[in-house]
Amino acid sequence: MRRSLPFEFLRYAMILLIIAISLVPTLWMLSMAFKPIAEWSASGAALTWWPENPTLDNFRFIFGQSSSELIVSLERTAARPIVASLLAAIVGTLIAMTAGTAAAYGLSRFGKGNNLPLALIQLRLFPPMAVMIPLMIMWSFLGLIDNWFGLAVVYGIVTLPFAFWLMKTFFDDMPREIEDAALVEGCTRLRVFAVITLPMMRPALASSALFVFIMNWSDYLIALLLTTRDWVTIPVYMTSLSSSMTGQLYGAKAALGLIAAIPPVILGIAIQKHLVRGLTFGALKE
Amino acid sequence: MNGVSVKEADIAVLPQDNAGSEEKRLGFWLTLPAQCLVLFIAVFPILMQLYISMTDWSPLDGIPWYRAYELWIGFINYTDLASDSRFWAAMWRTFLVMIVCVPIQFLLGLGLAVLFVDEFPGKRWFYSTLLIPMMVVPAVAGYMFFLLFQSGGPVNDLLSLFSASPVKIAWLSDPSLALVAVMAADIWQWTPLMFLILLAGMISVPQDQQMAAVLLGASWGRRFFTIVLPRMKTIIIIALAIRTIEIFKIFDTLYIMTGGGPGVATETISVYIYKVTQQDLIWGYVAAIALAILIVLSVISAIAISRMSKGANAR
Repeated sequence: MRRSLPFEFLRYAMILLIIAISLVPTLWMLSMAFKPIAEWSASGAALTWWPENPTLDNFRFIFGQSSSELIVSLERTAARPIVASLLAAIVGTLIAMTAGTAAAYGLSRFGKGNNLPLALIQLRLFPPMAVMIPLMIMWSFLGLIDNWFGLAVVYGIVTLPFAFWLMKTFFDDMPREIEDAALVEGCTRLRVFAVITLPMMRPALASSALFVFIMNWSDYLIALLLTTRDWVTIPVYMTSLSSSMTGQLYGAKAALGLIAAIPPVILGIAIQKHLVRGLTFGALKE
Repeated sequence: MNGVSVKEADIAVLPQDNAGSEEKRLGFWLTLPAQCLVLFIAVFPILMQLYISMTDWSPLDGIPWYRAYELWIGFINYTDLASDSRFWAAMWRTFLVMIVCVPIQFLLGLGLAVLFVDEFPGKRWFYSTLLIPMMVVPAVAGYMFFLLFQSGGPVNDLLSLFSASPVKIAWLSDPSLALVAVMAADIWQWTPLMFLILLAGMISVPQDQQMAAVLLGASWGRRFFTIVLPRMKTIIIIALAIRTIEIFKIFDTLYIMTGGGPGVATETISVYIYKVTQQDLIWGYVAAIALAILIVLSVISAIAISRMSKGANAR
């Protein structure tokens, strides 16, 4: 629809204003990550919006190299938490996607009257906090506390509803004719699924997996409760940085926050076409 | 795998009958892993939770959880809960965050969706940029806002700029302001989600009726409130429901910003449960709280889902 010039102007002005506001927190952390310790804005000093002497010291510091200004050196570097986050999130994604895709296909093609979909939505409604006591008891019984695999299994279960619903809507959208043709040719259902359906679904599988990965990567609470030392993930490690040190390590934490924030932002923008579908459990497809 | 080759032969002879039972079997096996996982995380833990909640068990007692019956106290945890003022205060605080943040996120998201509903140069770039906050890891978002609201931080710096005198508000250590900072963080991070969903809904409203209304001379506002909004009803309900549920669970951002403090000033329900779990270690009581919340939420969600599916059938 055609709109007048003043309207167009107003639209750009408002959008730019909102974007400016919404970028401030991110940019502030970004600038913090590259500031030398003198510019970290201790309460007395004047605030600098942009690093005057940009430095990579904060990044060097979290990977174990102490700089001239930061004499403290870390007992444990950020390398292992990064590996822990990656391992738990990737394996968790594999678990959710395997179980989710299989169930989604089963229910999309021949599952009438099954109550699994609703059970999965309910699973999503509950605060993870509310099943943590039994989970912690079970996990310590099984020796899965502070273990990346134990964390990955919980991630897999927590994100299963998303994997299931995303894949189900993709399967529902897929035309049946191709499958039917193969069935007439004498293929078994299982063969059709493995040889025809899954390869066709490759883009859908990829975007669902990325969506689930972002969810797993973003977790804080579960890792906080289930890991203690060896396999803490990035956010848990980040909070421990300040408590174990003398004073706040603003810059170092910002550098770490930046490392944690980049993957989901890039992946999220890559799959933005499917975000609505994933977040609304397939109720809305754009 | 032998069974598969036999099946192929069968289908060639009797395609109709065999396909039916094969499908049923396959449907069962395909959903089995997911069913097991749900059972593993839902049914068994909830039974265990029920058991623990009837006892005074704590991991410090030195007896394994399955012998918790030695500390059996019946329903005392539940009656304690009813008179636990810290629990009810946390509950109220959670609702407060909910009733402030959800409407603001909704209105901002709706406004943005209106700005984005038709094509204009640069739309894709603006759209992607606006989505960034919701993609930031919540714990990191918490740290971002922790930095912003420091007394020597950018928020005070901006306020000083406008008020022409140096502002040194200690946002996060002031009991009455800490919750405001927490709400600001939630609004910042989750308005894009509202926007995303509402925009998708707004775009899917068919154009024909709107065109007709334009021809009849209806104003933009009239068209928006009588045609577009009513058509978006389901989507609006979904968007509001998602945010309400998520805010009920609010933890990551808040815990990193304030740790629930100062004192208990920003202690929401998840933070309260976390603290009792980690610091007070009275797990029997935590199990009772968690189970009570689970039951209430299940009842609410069961009612909501059945009403929504009834509504969907009626249409």
